[in-house]
Amino acid sequence: METKEKSEKFIVPIGPQHPALKEPGHFEFTVDGEVVTGASVRLGYVHRGIEKGAEDRNWTQDIYLVERVCGICSHIHATALALGVEKMAGVTAPARAQAIRSLIGEMERLHSHLLWLGVIAHEGGFDTLFMYSWRDRETVMDLLEQVTGNRVNYSANVLGGVKIDISSAQSDAIRRGVDFLESRTQHYLNIVTQDEVFLARTRGVGTMTKDQALLFGAVGPTARASGLEMDIRVDAPYAAYDQFKVNRVTDTHGDLEGRFIVRVKELFESYRLIREILDHLPEGELTVRVPRKIPAGEVISRVEAPRGELFYFLKSNGGDKPDRMKIRTPSLCNWASVMQLAVGHKLADMPMMLAGIDPCFSCNDRVMTIRRDHSRQTWSWEDLRRYSLEYYR
Amino acid sequence: MNETLNLSTPWQKGLHKVRLWSLTNSPWAIHFNSGSCNGCDIELLATLTPRYDLERFGVKLQGSPRHADILICTGPVTRQARDRLLRTYEQMPGPKFVVALGSCGTSGGVFQGCYNIVGEIGNVIPVDAYIPGCPPRPEAMIDGIVKLLGSLK
Amino acid sequence: MQEPTRMQDMEAPLAELTDRFEWRDDNRLDVFITSDRLLPAVEVLFAHHWVYLTAITGFDSPAAEGSEAEGMIELLYHFCSGASILTLRLSLPYSNLVVPSVCHLIPPATLYERELIEMLGVEIPGTTSTDRLLLPDDWPVGVYPMRKTFKGL
Repeated sequence: METKEKSEKFIVPIGPQHPALKEPGHFEFTVDGEVVTGASVRLGYVHRGIEKGAEDRNWTQDIYLVERVCGICSHIHATALALGVEKMAGVTAPARAQAIRSLIGEMERLHSHLLWLGVIAHEGGFDTLFMYSWRDRETVMDLLEQVTGNRVNYSANVLGGVKIDISSAQSDAIRRGVDFLESRTQHYLNIVTQDEVFLARTRGVGTMTKDQALLFGAVGPTARASGLEMDIRVDAPYAAYDQFKVNRVTDTHGDLEGRFIVRVKELFESYRLIREILDHLPEGELTVRVPRKIPAGEVISRVEAPRGELFYFLKSNGGDKPDRMKIRTPSLCNWASVMQLAVGHKLADMPMMLAGIDPCFSCNDRVMTIRRDHSRQTWSWEDLRRYSLEYYR
Repeated sequence: MNETLNLSTPWQKGLHKVRLWSLTNSPWAIHFNSGSCNGCDIELLATLTPRYDLERFGVKLQGSPRHADILICTGPVTRQARDRLLRTYEQMPGPKFVVALGSCGTSGGVFQGCYNIVGEIGNVIPVDAYIPGCPPRPEAMIDGIVKLLGSLK
Repeated sequence: MQEPTRMQDMEAPLAELTDRFEWRDDNRLDVFITSDRLLPAVEVLFAHHWVYLTAITGFDSPAAEGSEAEGMIELLYHFCSGASILTLRLSLPYSNLVVPSVCHLIPPATLYERELIEMLGVEIPGTTSTDRLLLPDDWPVGVYPMRKTFKGL
């Protein structure tokens, strides 16, 4: 995946930080002319030592810790942990709680996909789309705040269930919000499938066949855009997804256009799910009692985060703290896939391709090293973005 | 303020006033993520969108430390990010101000004690304003920045 | 792309490589193997279309206090098909923390292997890259954060 040549270093001083969008990580691209011949990734600027920290905190404290692995998909992390702990404890959260977990999970998916739409539009130079999609995203943020009390890190999960309920007034507000967003999303779908300028940047870029997607280990919308039918909500339903069935959204383009289409269509699927959950929200309790000390054992919890499969391995040795908590985020899988895929593509396509996997921002500041012939330059994300905009002008 | 200014002559005093005026009326800010979960960063970005519109206060979020008056920093400062944070701060010309955005920047947040973090931003560079929250709301961010600018006048 | 063999039918093809199977919950099969059997086992899985390695979990199992036994590092290679999870489990004694790489069969495994190398101190000959993935550049060599004995720098 990366070349082992020792090249002379030619370093361009690290340039501007891109405002508020990127997190730290490092890519290294080896180029021959315009074409990428090798790619590697180095994470670590956001490595906080959470898995180790989890061992020093009790199971309840860990809910608050894992919510902050990633500020964009915080709920799904806490859901995965709660489901795993409940399984080890031999309890099942009540049906109403599971439904609310799924409801908030879908609302999180909405905000995440809309966020991504704006971010990648910005990468491609379509700032108007960025502003519109983030304005629409505020609708979701408002709804999440109404229901949970916070715009980010909503903390709806507790071990054994949820701590918030949905009133009929909130239910109506959610429905109205979803109706509004659905009409806006139709507009976005038109852009990503019909706008010529847009398609020039996305069609045929970063194409990954179904076999490649499988070999490279892609997950989530990135994989589904290549026709790979994997969605944990369907393959291994959790929370309330056995009651509220999900239709997988796949596409066959396999390129960046396909990834746009999948995510936008997933918005529609989430709107449908949200309405269905609200229509059939089970009655009952919100929590079930979970003991402080969790019986010894191991459990695996897999859930579908907005970016793909999120994997938790939990081990208890009978105490109130985990013996081991392993978290494998979907972005790790997708990084691997895009590093494999980058080879053979133009350097100018890299920003869109990288953003196209919707990297969970808890990983990349996009300082990158470009190795060309025998020199090595360090570019900032902004440099690469400008390079790519210029290339396609 | 984090530097000692020589303000003895009328010329120096006048120049300082002009700098302060331009700083408080049109501060250029730079953002730095020192290892945050991105909750704060996304909400900061949201303040640029039309609903909150940070720019109407004259604050321009741009990319280069060399043109920045204010450093808005998020995150609990991972070991890997620490040096880059320092270098970014050093590249900024004076007078310069640092805003620690979010609970992580204030105290390490939920990550206190984790092996790869330095902890609060104040352990690395001097901080002028703290905006706590996990994450702080866009309104809180605007409030904090406006208060910082007000305290300079 | 063919459908993977049902997990219930995987004991037979793997029987030669192991003498211990454990069924857990309603959808998990753990297969206990030694490190010399890892690659043949992966090839058996591939022959039955179990190609999706979702993660490699590693954890430290030090010897109990006062015990003469050696500490171990356990590695779990999780392969998934639908809701079924087939895990190849290995225990490596501290005195021989070596396991062959699976990267030539599963290219994305490089990221998981890099993590095992830096976090637990496992040696993985043949792995694509031994560059640090998560730990900072100045992290001391030979210090493995996910070992139980590590309590901070």
